[in-house]
Amino acid sequence: MGLIEFAAAKTLASSAVFLFITVLLIAAAKRINACIVLFAIQCAVITAQIVALAFLHRSVEAFAVAAVVLIVKVVAIPYALLRISRQLKVTPAVVVSTTPGQSVFIVAALILLAFAVVQPYARAFALDSEMLAAATAIVLTGGFLMVSRKKALMQVIGLLVLENGIFLAALTTTFGMPFVIEMGIFFDLLVCVLLMGIFIFRIRETFEHVDVSRLRRLRG
Amino acid sequence: MTKALDVFQFLVLIGVAPLLRGVVARFKACIQNRRGANVFRPYFDLWKLFRKEDLIPPTASLLFRLCPVILWAATLAASAFVPVLHTTALLGNHGDIILLVYLLALGRFFLVLGAMDGGSSFGGMGASREALVSTLAEAPLLLGLIAVAIVSRGSSIGAIVQWTADRHLFELSPAHAFACVALILVTIAETGRVPVDNPATHLELTMIHEAMVLEYSGPSLALIEWASGIKLNLMLSLLVALFVPWGMTAGVSFSALAIAAGVWVLKMALLAMALAALESSMAKLRMYLVPQYLGMATALSILAVVFTAFKR
Repeated sequence: MGLIEFAAAKTLASSAVFLFITVLLIAAAKRINACIVLFAIQCAVITAQIVALAFLHRSVEAFAVAAVVLIVKVVAIPYALLRISRQLKVTPAVVVSTTPGQSVFIVAALILLAFAVVQPYARAFALDSEMLAAATAIVLTGGFLMVSRKKALMQVIGLLVLENGIFLAALTTTFGMPFVIEMGIFFDLLVCVLLMGIFIFRIRETFEHVDVSRLRRLRG
Repeated sequence: MTKALDVFQFLVLIGVAPLLRGVVARFKACIQNRRGANVFRPYFDLWKLFRKEDLIPPTASLLFRLCPVILWAATLAASAFVPVLHTTALLGNHGDIILLVYLLALGRFFLVLGAMDGGSSFGGMGASREALVSTLAEAPLLLGLIAVAIVSRGSSIGAIVQWTADRHLFELSPAHAFACVALILVTIAETGRVPVDNPATHLELTMIHEAMVLEYSGPSLALIEWASGIKLNLMLSLLVALFVPWGMTAGVSFSALAIAAGVWVLKMALLAMALAALESSMAKLRMYLVPQYLGMATALSILAVVFTAFKR
């Protein structure tokens, strides 16, 4: 076993831990920009994992997917989000309905739930239970972020985290989706972020804030 | 030979403690673009304090004089359980992680008592804050250590360190990662460093440790300062020993020991640098945000304990 294969196998084995830690840090972060950077780091971990898988399976397609993930998720989307958060000129704090301590507790509970739920499935299909649990936990955390954060921008980040989880689940269960579909999803994601950016600007122009908990009634 | 080595590393742990504080202060000064004091400054301070008169408030009882001595002795006893260069410690076979945690708690309990006995209102305020922080920090400290102990199937620190040193970095479980983050958060709170307490503050309303020692002077103050230096050194060495013990020697050959000493100095210097960078880049938390900070550490340590159930 060569050195690079060894490094690839170790990357695969340890990436679940890094994903758990990024998820917990996003839950604890107090500023939107910190959340965006943590999202980029999470995507970088996933990229490293795809590269390791591509190397172990000698698949050129997976290398291409890794390159696209790197460009779209690690560079383009965080850059766009940072730009949006700068141009919105709202306070940088993440407004939350739970304290950071509670958020970390809830995310820890979600991680445990994911582990407990995934075990029988992973055993039946002989999958890596840690990676599958990481994917499930990321999906759950993305949902939790969307529910508990009040700024519209954080809901975009929550959605992106959730999408990361789905992507990871596809990667661990079926070794990725077909290349064309993968490309379609990335394109969708990019357009989605742009549309949501425009939408957040419209919310701010109409209501002078981006706090979704205050958008209870429809106003023309 | 092994016994002599254990005594030596115990002496290193308590003797280097003031130097470590000086080094951290020096790194901080560098980051803040100041020249900073000599790194041996804390030794001169201790020497000066030991030669001064010990002033005792007229309202204080015998406890006031006794508390610094008990604090110092308890901290010293705790540091006899921490391996530095060698995977065993001086009293490594006579107690486990639980004794270590509660020796530190004993020292702190008497420090709090002494602060309240001094009779000043700041002492009482600092004491109540210290009691709050230490109560909340106890659970994550103990749970984090227990998680590591469960993974390595041994409750003595020597056994845990030997187990970790025999493996390499990627063989450690998620439990180790979570316990490591939790214990770093706890170490910052326990040693009174920046997000929780500011060791360099002169503002009575924000300080915890400094408010408690406000009434102390002379040799008593020297003992307290030395004990808090030893505690910082002890906690950082414990982090190094539990999570990155590679470089420690199991044998007693001279060359292996020299390498172990070099590696330890390097790791401690890196930690001191990280501590200085953290202290210069963060503001102190408001007092009522500290429970949230320690709540995060608790959540992580609980997660670490639960993760020990999932076999790697």
